Amino acid sequence: MPTEMTELADLLSQVAAKNRDALRAIYTRQSTRLFGIAMAILRDRNAAADVLQDAFLKIWNRAGQFDPSRGDPAAWLAAIVRYAALDAARARGREMLSDDPDLGDTPVAPVALEQLERSEDNARLHDCLQRLPQANRDGIVLAFVHGLSHPEIAARLDQPLGTVKSWIRRGLLSLRECLA
Amino acid sequence: MTLPIPTDDAARAALAGEYVLGTLDARTTQAVNDAIARDADFAALVADWEQRLAPLTALAVPEAPPPDLWARIEQQITPPSPAPRPARRAPFSFQWVWRAWALGASLAVLLLAFLPMMRREAAPVMTTILLADANQTAWEARVDPTGGIQLAALASPGGTQIDTAPTGHDLQLWALAPGEKTPVSLGLVPRGQHAVQIATPPVRPVPGMLILISLEPPGGAPGALPTGPVVFVGRLSQAGPPT
Repeated sequence: MPTEMTELADLLSQVAAKNRDALRAIYTRQSTRLFGIAMAILRDRNAAADVLQDAFLKIWNRAGQFDPSRGDPAAWLAAIVRYAALDAARARGREMLSDDPDLGDTPVAPVALEQLERSEDNARLHDCLQRLPQANRDGIVLAFVHGLSHPEIAARLDQPLGTVKSWIRRGLLSLRECLA
Repeated sequence: MTLPIPTDDAARAALAGEYVLGTLDARTTQAVNDAIARDADFAALVADWEQRLAPLTALAVPEAPPPDLWARIEQQITPPSPAPRPARRAPFSFQWVWRAWALGASLAVLLLAFLPMMRREAAPVMTTILLADANQTAWEARVDPTGGIQLAALASPGGTQIDTAPTGHDLQLWALAPGEKTPVSLGLVPRGQHAVQIATPPVRPVPGMLILISLEPPGGAPGALPTGPVVFVGRLSQAGPPT
């Protein structure tokens, strides 16, 4: 929504000027969405809360680096939270998790793409994802939304690691071509 | 020990995509971070992928963060300053409540470490620690399964025993439900007592409710609202499984 985008961009420029109320306004509007993004990756409320705290400090320190001409402020915020959550997942040994017997207790299904909101950008991404073979698509969604590593995706899809790596790589390149 | 970033266009695009996707291991991620810092073209590839894949974040189910998280963030972005000293009989101010809460939040972590030693028998359904400034004492509030609230003074980690209201004052207990603007009185803390039991509070305790103690004239606030400074504050949250 353009007005929401403009307002968020405006709030970010105020945060760059060290306005705490503006950061609080961003927190009020975005924390539920951003916490959900961290939870999808970490599946642990304490860890997700630590990540969101860390991410808001980064937003506080880096708001000046956001360039409204280069993109959507909501995407910029989400990227900061995702990277912080992925770092936390790596730090707790995500790479080893594929052997974790408990992993099966928290089933992570690739979410139905129909849940993508019906905006124009989303519709294009949706269409391009639909054109990928299902395994490539599932791999991309499991990695992006749930933060699974290559070995975890390989275990989930019951495929050799090398196969999964090349599926995802090919999937990304086809996506790029389709969206260009 | 930075890894080389490929020069081939497709391989560069794929690496940037995998970075945004999050599938790279920690070492390669670090190499990409370095590349972003010194290679503007590569940084642009990463930014493009971030925008391209951003709609997928809508697939994560939104979830409310813990209620105290903003206070934790605010505490870290606030330059350290002397604890606010409210003027005597200052009007009730929620700003002050939040400031006190932010101040005390880190102390709560410390105090929680002492809690397991003090566990009583009946498992509470909600708990909170009411805190004042550092080095002061605290109270623990527990909500039992029937909705009653028990308040007990905790010895501070330094070993100082609790004290009650200064001479000429009473401590008054309040509950502020989430979304409400005015607290409801739960009554006075009896002088010299280190524990209070409110079997049937006038408001139903719910997670997120603030429990406050204000310093009031003898006999309590004359009206329905606190008149003195809030000296202790804590937020109720679901108790963990009984230990």
